[in-house]
Amino acid sequence: MPDAEVAHADAPDIPAVPEDVPLPATASATAREESSAVFWALVVGGLVFVVAGWLLPWFVEQTANGIGFSPQDVVSSAPTGIGTVLVYVIGAAMVVLLAGVAYDAYCTLTRRGVPFRYSRTRAAVALVGAVGTVVVCVLVVSREEPLFGSLSPLATGSPDNAVWMTLTGFTVLTFVYGLRDWVSAHGQVAFAGIVFLIGALFPLIFGQSQSFIVWGASAAAIYTLLALGLNVVVGFAGLLDLGYAAFFAIGAYTCGSLSSSVHGLHFPFWIVLFIGLAVAALFGAALGAPTLRLRGDYLAIVTLGFGEIIPDAANNNLFGATGGPEGITGIDHPSIFGFNFGIDARPYFWALLVIIAVVILLLRNIQRSRLGRAWAAIREDEIAAAATGVNPVSTKLLAFAIGASVSGFAGAFFGAELGSVTPDSFQFAVSVTVLSTVVLGGIGNNTGVVAGGILVSFIIFWMLAHLQEWLGTFGNKFGLPTLGTIDYSRWVYIVYGAILVGIMLLRPAGLLPSRARKVELQSGTESESLAAVQGRA
Amino acid sequence: MAQSTETVPAGAAMRSAGLPVARLRELSALASRAFPIVVVAALILMVALVALRSGGTTAAAEVRNGLTIGAVYALIAVGYTMVYGIIELINFAHGDVFTLSAFYALIFSQHLGFDISGLGASGAGGFFAALIILLVLTMAAAGLTGMLIERVAYRRLRNSPRLAPLITAVGVSFIIEGFLFATQGATNVRTGKANWLLGEAVKVGGVSISWRDIFVFFSALVFMFLLQSFVRFTRLGKAMRATAQDRDAALLSGVNINRTISATFFIGSALAAAGGIIYSVKDDLIVWNLGFRFGIIAFTCAVLGGIGNLVGAGLGAFLIGLIQVFGGQLIGSAWDNAIIFAMLIIVLVFRPVGLLGLRVPDRA
Repeated sequence: MPDAEVAHADAPDIPAVPEDVPLPATASATAREESSAVFWALVVGGLVFVVAGWLLPWFVEQTANGIGFSPQDVVSSAPTGIGTVLVYVIGAAMVVLLAGVAYDAYCTLTRRGVPFRYSRTRAAVALVGAVGTVVVCVLVVSREEPLFGSLSPLATGSPDNAVWMTLTGFTVLTFVYGLRDWVSAHGQVAFAGIVFLIGALFPLIFGQSQSFIVWGASAAAIYTLLALGLNVVVGFAGLLDLGYAAFFAIGAYTCGSLSSSVHGLHFPFWIVLFIGLAVAALFGAALGAPTLRLRGDYLAIVTLGFGEIIPDAANNNLFGATGGPEGITGIDHPSIFGFNFGIDARPYFWALLVIIAVVILLLRNIQRSRLGRAWAAIREDEIAAAATGVNPVSTKLLAFAIGASVSGFAGAFFGAELGSVTPDSFQFAVSVTVLSTVVLGGIGNNTGVVAGGILVSFIIFWMLAHLQEWLGTFGNKFGLPTLGTIDYSRWVYIVYGAILVGIMLLRPAGLLPSRARKVELQSGTESESLAAVQGRA
Repeated sequence: MAQSTETVPAGAAMRSAGLPVARLRELSALASRAFPIVVVAALILMVALVALRSGGTTAAAEVRNGLTIGAVYALIAVGYTMVYGIIELINFAHGDVFTLSAFYALIFSQHLGFDISGLGASGAGGFFAALIILLVLTMAAAGLTGMLIERVAYRRLRNSPRLAPLITAVGVSFIIEGFLFATQGATNVRTGKANWLLGEAVKVGGVSISWRDIFVFFSALVFMFLLQSFVRFTRLGKAMRATAQDRDAALLSGVNINRTISATFFIGSALAAAGGIIYSVKDDLIVWNLGFRFGIIAFTCAVLGGIGNLVGAGLGAFLIGLIQVFGGQLIGSAWDNAIIFAMLIIVLVFRPVGLLGLRVPDRA
């Protein structure tokens, strides 16, 4: 990894600031830390799935939103159908693995024995459990009649969210724990594989509850894509951009203008996507060219201003082309090989998954290229980089344009997906959300950014949106009906703010910090103060 | 071309593009030096245009409006500039501290049994007595809030990646806005205002200037003057300047860094509170998310004046106030934000250090 080299080369001149955080001594130590972070992220993710799967039946009954039987039913009513054997196999695997966890914990706590000793056994058991789980999932999805005999009247016929979520969580846990060594060595690959597999299956399983998929498509995937683009600017090149939503808006409005009846233009969607990309990149370069020689924070404030101007211009119907506050409606839905995407959210979601995968691969290649190394050099010491032949302005300009182009691409997709664009969708809050996604996930680390995208959009668009419903149901279940009477929509801001502050305080470098960034950021801690301060004032 | 930056070593730039680059750099330096004059000239032009179009009285009235709104911006902007000067953090929560303290003032005045409008009946003496009590209480409360925010959300992250405190600042901003939203409601709240304040004090060239306008403008000036004297002449002010210049060196010479930074937050927030009260007197309508826009504009003022520079922040605030009202007159008030931020971008392109700023070393 070139980044590791950069980090390593930079390590010697770390100043001895008293409050400094202990630094990992070598690049390999940081690599280990990073993979361990991925490991724990996967473990927590798996646990969330298991717990959510167990809790889900309580809620789906209330919301009548894809009703199914619950894992509790499976256990309590002695399965009789074809699933029985599989359930026992999975159960046995679970018991063995739990025993393994207990043994490891015992070893670690008492400092006796060797933890993680039976890694091969564990891996084999985990694979058995995972295969069993996958088969159960396939059967649940494909069979019309209940898998486990007749359970409750609620359970008839429908593929089941709760079982699927529990089993998925279990599979993730067994996979990660059983193949702990492999996951530790290939954290990013494991993470990418699991996320994309679950992501691809997501719409199939939750076929009945559209809101899940709409959430996944229009929020999580778009925000992840935006965060990946912003990561180029903020993470790779170290330029703070607070107006990223402007490029998103530019892409969306380009799409709206070129493929709707507003101007009578109906360009094919897949061309519009790239026009949106190009226009946003042009704007990025146009904004960046005069301002990129500014210091970091000034750049931040310029981009912030730009991010305010663009929605304002759209809102004020600039040149009569943006439709004012109502925006542009009736944008053509995309189609591919004669298949029209229509208003079903699922094709968009899958398309976005493919796009995200491609973007990640492209960005990873760029990051490892000459340009990526130039970004790292500029980020760490601009003057030294310039002295060694890196052109700071064109390098930064490229970062800006590439970041903007991803945003424009996402915007064009967003416009076609919703069928309409309004200025409201591109306010400062969007820029802040994307930035917090990048920072929470781990600046400069694509894996972390994807994790941050999933987490932040889950919190904002799913958890906070359903807080009222969930706590109301919870209160009714446990005899605390007052829980449901509080108006939570008033407290959403506080909860989100507290989550942001809490995560940042606990993990200042993000959930999955980038190893190169980590060393670099902590070495840059001595205050580079501003000379022109109050003394002259 | 854009290669004429300070960051490229002179030799490299010369080699790559030859003479035009050198000439461009001279031009850029000239533009930078001439910039304050250009800004003032542009402003005068705008005033003249408005005067031609809508008459001199309108123009004079807009000058009054611009200066009073600028006074509020000034009191917020100094908080930004102080905090940025000392820990290089864009304190996104600062605009919300401004809103919060306006609500503090409202609540205090209700609990103390007077409001600004009620005291208006008893004339100027009663008004100022109440105002001083209210100012002391609110500024103390807001200052303590600012210190608390620094202690909880920023201090632990002082040696963290630079973006981490920025995100907590955004988080704190959400928390304050959410708190106000949840407790004070989503609609405008009236603060009430003193009737005598609205009366005409003087008439200059056909424009009536009320006591309120005079009060708003001069109280901002008084606070700026007090702050300036404090920073220049007291021991703590000296410590603040030292910390801003070089934190490690200040630490070595015995400055208590934590206390100094806390004090900076206290003072900045207290001035935002003064701004909040003055705004309540001026416009009498406050709402939970008022601080977001005011915060961004105030930060723009700080940048325009030269960030880290207190007088610059004040000057920038009055300029932005004037530009806002005259731009609104000329183009339409829907473009307020766009005008202000376009202004900001122009400033940063031609004179990145701001009007009164000094050249500072470039840090990528």
